Amino acid sequence: MSLWFTLFKKEWLEMVRNFKIIWVPLTFLLLGSMDPLTSYYMPKMIDALGGLPEGTVIEIPYPSPPDSLMMSVAQFDTIGVLIIVLITMGLIAGERKSGVAAMILVKPVPFGFYITAKWAASLLLMWLSYITGMLASWYYTGVLFGWIPFGEFLTALILYGVWLTLIMTLTLFFSAVFKVPGLAGFCSIALAIVINLVSGVLSHRLKWSPALLQTYAGEYLHSGEFSAGTFPSILLATAAIIFLMVFAIIIFRNKELSG
Amino acid sequence: MSVIRVEALKKSFKNQPVIKGVSFTLGENRCTALVGPNGAGKTTILRMLSGLLKPSSGTITFPETSNNGDFRKFIGYLPQHPVFYEWMTGKEFLEYAGKLGGLTKEEAAVRAEELFETVGLGEAKKKRISKYSGGMRQRLGIAQAMIHRPRLLLLDEPVSALDPIGRREVLGLLENLKKMSAVLFSTHILNDAEEVSDEILFLHKGEIVEAGTMARLREKYRQAKIDLTLGNVKDMELFIEQVSNKDFVQSFLVNGNAATFFVENVEEAKTVFLREILEQHLPLIKFEISKMSLEDVFMKVVRS
Amino acid sequence: MELFFEHYALFIPLIIAQFVLLIVAIIDLVRIEKTNGPKWVWALVIIFVNIIGPILYFIFGRRHD
Repeated sequence: MSLWFTLFKKEWLEMVRNFKIIWVPLTFLLLGSMDPLTSYYMPKMIDALGGLPEGTVIEIPYPSPPDSLMMSVAQFDTIGVLIIVLITMGLIAGERKSGVAAMILVKPVPFGFYITAKWAASLLLMWLSYITGMLASWYYTGVLFGWIPFGEFLTALILYGVWLTLIMTLTLFFSAVFKVPGLAGFCSIALAIVINLVSGVLSHRLKWSPALLQTYAGEYLHSGEFSAGTFPSILLATAAIIFLMVFAIIIFRNKELSG
Repeated sequence: MSVIRVEALKKSFKNQPVIKGVSFTLGENRCTALVGPNGAGKTTILRMLSGLLKPSSGTITFPETSNNGDFRKFIGYLPQHPVFYEWMTGKEFLEYAGKLGGLTKEEAAVRAEELFETVGLGEAKKKRISKYSGGMRQRLGIAQAMIHRPRLLLLDEPVSALDPIGRREVLGLLENLKKMSAVLFSTHILNDAEEVSDEILFLHKGEIVEAGTMARLREKYRQAKIDLTLGNVKDMELFIEQVSNKDFVQSFLVNGNAATFFVENVEEAKTVFLREILEQHLPLIKFEISKMSLEDVFMKVVRS
Repeated sequence: MELFFEHYALFIPLIIAQFVLLIVAIIDLVRIEKTNGPKWVWALVIIFVNIIGPILYFIFGRRHD
């Protein structure tokens, strides 16, 4: 176990040294603040700047607090996902490509430790950033449009966080499979988009799809009740995460690390 | 006592055989050189021994150790171009490597300190690796390979990237390393092999074409050339008559009063030739012995 | 403009966040050995591209090896 922590601490130290530990949470913070603020100020700004013909009435209603929070979640679902994929895709593939993975894995390091330590460190960074962003959105939503009870906010945060965790794990999986970081990133994004599209189109059939967790989080905030597919999707996402990790380890172990 | 035993090792890449059945045993406290031209398969063999590549067939065993799978802890490996986490300091990387090799935090720190002295990196240990020169990287690479006291050190071209001074130092280091573990290093430069190794494996096109201790190889290929010039053609004719039927003379070329003899046993040939010249009172003008170098041996082995 | 001063306290966290990003990106740029593309271009991007300049640098400017 101390060996695992050695690997984990190295991952964490690396994130500190390359400032990921600072810039990723701050990026999520800006991302989370953007939508509540623009929804509040945009109508006022258009009003104030004027220049519109007399009699024009611009009626842009303020979003409801849940809508405001979910607009931020939509940001996380696009730009946030992109950032998570970009910072995760090289974790294993990059080390294999540079050859440093071979330096490390000729030491008696279990392949499972090597991969899970990276996963755990990424998980920590991802949740730290995501929580920062969500808190920012929750705060601005509360100040500008009305407060969402913290418990409900937290529940919604966890629901969507499961999907983000799945995306991160998927990226790490591809990073273990491919030697080229860009390819790992491309596959992760492509697969996420496909799952999202299919789940969106066939949402009544694929109630258990983890991609719908975003929808379920919104529905929960509006109604205060969990939609039917919520728990099956969480279960499926968890199973997929475990499955991806196990296969990442098996595939990686059978790879030849050089040549 | 053998540290590692390799039997009938083969490796193919895309159905192209690269290593065609290689067997050898490495003993404790011995330094063995794996010598061969570029492309002979040296790196492939070392990578298989380190576990980075899986043999297509054949076995690698560590006789002393119970054979439950993971033999990586017995091995220290230095790739041809060692790569590090550039953002770490030398000390951080070395201690990290030590901990991965099974040392505790404290052991790793002590051992790292020792090794920085051994490889001569004491000054630079707190610098970021991104600032290291090629020679410093090579030394850090050797240090990280040794940190967990492996039974077998595998070094892939440890000196070929170094300048003459660095090369001297690392070769000297190799001499010391074998006190602690068996060493197998690859090189395409025969002189380096000759200088520090106890045994040599000649690799050519994926096969070991010749192997043995330096002494045995020299013994086996102690063919030499004797150039002799006498006063006149008549003297030479007389001389040839006397020696041409000796066992050790393999062949000779005569050109007037000069001749070149290819002989098998230099010492015997020298004694017999000189005695003959003295007894017959032949006027000696030139007598030159040239031994075959290991280079010649290698060329001969490779060509045959 | 008075619109913003009305709630100026709201923007303080964002201004701080942006400032920290800027500083951290510059520190990293100074310390790093090589970037993808010339360093001075990244310096301009970090300083003059509002908010996303530093982020762009961290994602695309750093060499990940």
